[in-house]
Amino acid sequence: MIVCSNLSKTYKHGSSQKQVFSNVNLVVEPGDRLALLGRNGAGKSTLIKLIGGVEMPTSGKIARKMSVSWPLGFAGGFQGSLTGYDNARFIARIYRREYSEIRAFVEDFSELGRQLRMPVKTYSSGMRARLAFALSLAIEFDCYLIDEIILVGDQNFSRKCQYELLEQRKNRTMILASHSTPLVREFCNKALLIHNGEATEYDDVGSAVDVYDSL
Amino acid sequence: MAHASLSKFRSGWITQVRVIHALMIRELTTRYGRDNIGFLWIMVEPLLFAGLVALIWHFMYGETKHGVGITAFIVTGYIPITLFRHGVARSVAIFTANSSILYHRQVKILDFIVVRLLIELLGGMMAFVFIAGVLMVFDQFPVPTDIGLTIAGWMIYAFFSFSICLIIAPLSEMSEVVEKFVPVTTYVMIPFSGLFTLAEWLTPTMREYLMWSPFVSGMEMLRKGIWGDQITAYYYPWYTISCSVVATMIGLVLCRRVRRTLAVD
Repeated sequence: MIVCSNLSKTYKHGSSQKQVFSNVNLVVEPGDRLALLGRNGAGKSTLIKLIGGVEMPTSGKIARKMSVSWPLGFAGGFQGSLTGYDNARFIARIYRREYSEIRAFVEDFSELGRQLRMPVKTYSSGMRARLAFALSLAIEFDCYLIDEIILVGDQNFSRKCQYELLEQRKNRTMILASHSTPLVREFCNKALLIHNGEATEYDDVGSAVDVYDSL
Repeated sequence: MAHASLSKFRSGWITQVRVIHALMIRELTTRYGRDNIGFLWIMVEPLLFAGLVALIWHFMYGETKHGVGITAFIVTGYIPITLFRHGVARSVAIFTANSSILYHRQVKILDFIVVRLLIELLGGMMAFVFIAGVLMVFDQFPVPTDIGLTIAGWMIYAFFSFSICLIIAPLSEMSEVVEKFVPVTTYVMIPFSGLFTLAEWLTPTMREYLMWSPFVSGMEMLRKGIWGDQITAYYYPWYTISCSVVATMIGLVLCRRVRRTLAVD
């Protein structure tokens, strides 16, 4: 279970400041598939970063009672100057996993082949997504935080991700920020719509998507 | 209750040790790669610094100064100052530079500073042993009389350097002005670090002023352990330790505050 109570986040730069959202309350039960909806800049990624513990809320609290992945997105999580293998080794070490197992899974799942010997900064965003997904699936989290990237990559990879994540691990919890309304309608059972700094929770995904579409 | 918090502390401790270990390997491979001598490069920088400056002094000022071998004297001074200056220089903007790794929740910002300093510490020690060994062969370095005192001095010096890094790192994230003042400040403080002088060579008044610098006690202990009865050393280890503890406290509070507002992209 993940419980967020009274979360607010404000970014400050010099004298100007921007409040992203305030007073977000959210309970994610095991097995939930929560969609985060909102327009660009509404605060979906920010909320994912707070839940993942990457950034700290300005006020409020987050309690995590299950293992939560790092936010799987376009940026973050890797050291660009290190190779794919070195990043995998680093991640295996900090998550206390056996490198040989992680390595075998990553090679098989990511299909990056010789590219794994190249620095991650030379990867395209699709390749980064492959690596991030492969690593997080190899580690096995209770809850996956997915920031947009599920639709990145070619058809073949998308299908593979959906199979591994949405079918093989369908009892896991997922928090998914996405603009893809068909995907959200199909896979999510809850939605949180962030608009103008306020978050509204919907148990009926259909009506959440309708509201989002009309924004 | 007490038992639960103890086991929580234990598992947190084990995690941090693993993270620091992983970060050290990461740092060494990104900075030095796996080619040629690999991670042994960590000792090359302090080695060259101490070695070349000592050589210059040797030819400029002769073999000895106040009865102390000048090469060995400069080497003992330069290795610690390199630790301090590199540690501080690398602490500037260290959190932003490593922010992509902060995606992994178990990595704490303090780990970055600890790793930096540990690497400088190891490099300095390796360089010291190497250079002292070589110089001893040429009879330019005395056999240390009290190695324990030398290590204690080095550790105190490192502790103080660490506590300053703990303050510089968060301050550099709060204000860009700090970044601009760091190089000149670490340069200007060189004479106050006890690098070029032993306290006994100074006039009593000057000595009194110099002893206010927390570096000097560490420096004097380190040298006393090497030259023993050949020199008179002045040191107040508890003064340096107290300064370090206070600076560490301030640094930890600042780090905590900065972490709350750190934007990670």
